[in-house]
Amino acid sequence: MSRVRPAFIWLARLAVAAIFLGACVAKIRDPAAFALAVNRYRILPGEFVNLVAIVLPWIELTTGLAVLLAPPRPRAAGAAIIAAMLAVFTIAISLNLARGIEASCGCFSTRADAAVSDGWNLVRNGALIWLALAVYLDAVRRAFPRRAPEAP
Amino acid sequence: MTAGASALRRGDALRLAGAGAALVAVSAVLGIAVNFLRPAATRLPWIGDWSHHVENLAFRAGVPVTFLEGARTRVGATDGVVFDARIPEQYAAGHLPGAINLPLEDVERHLVAHAARLHLDTPILVYCGGADCTDALELAVKLRGLGFTDLTLYPGGYAEWVQYGGATRAGDAP
Repeated sequence: MSRVRPAFIWLARLAVAAIFLGACVAKIRDPAAFALAVNRYRILPGEFVNLVAIVLPWIELTTGLAVLLAPPRPRAAGAAIIAAMLAVFTIAISLNLARGIEASCGCFSTRADAAVSDGWNLVRNGALIWLALAVYLDAVRRAFPRRAPEAP
Repeated sequence: MTAGASALRRGDALRLAGAGAALVAVSAVLGIAVNFLRPAATRLPWIGDWSHHVENLAFRAGVPVTFLEGARTRVGATDGVVFDARIPEQYAAGHLPGAINLPLEDVERHLVAHAARLHLDTPILVYCGGADCTDALELAVKLRGLGFTDLTLYPGGYAEWVQYGGATRAGDAP
């Protein structure tokens, strides 16, 4: 068990970081197309769509790097932000599915011919949230170890 | 797995929040700086006016929209009709396979010619030049006013269809 857990955490860090570093590339390359994808969710007021399209991919980049390379404290922060973003993405995709909008999620590709969202996106996000939380809890444990109670 | 989170003391939580704020701040600076350094043609304005985007107009008008995959499915379907809302010259230069030209002017007269194929519940896909035109949306609203009930807008239109390698037909016939 003691050997399995560190290996699992490393794999979780690799998976979460790889997915977020991969996800930010197309969005940084074509912010206008990503802004259209953000607008398509109809969650944000129009005034915030561009700002989110400009900044969000870079949050994905920095948090992905933090989860992969940073010491425990920023790694825990990065994993927490990733889990929170995934929760928001999952709610947004669910809303589009409930509305019957046949749109791509804009997760990895901003192309018009990207695959249309379906229930699989929700399952994948659920698994990623679980992995991000595992990374977060491991990093918190390392960043803030419990102090031993003082001897009387 | 919950021990780590529940054991966080207030000071530790603040330090963690500080690390998170630093990550977000660095991201914001990078995003804003890179956007500022982009060529003007690809730079995104900080605040965009999305209220007049055709997809938002369609949403407010209650007209369903579909995107490239949906359009491909509908163009290949036999139970529906595709209407091209552009002017006849643009239609003749190239249109989606099977699409019928139905410019905004004199819609009723043009519809008569296709009456045999149309019922009020026939699935209808409408498109025009691309995301910058609203003719197809106006056509959809007009058709809804005439009683048609199954209307869908393809906002990407002819421009997106061609950009992604869709087959086209030239001439006056569908």
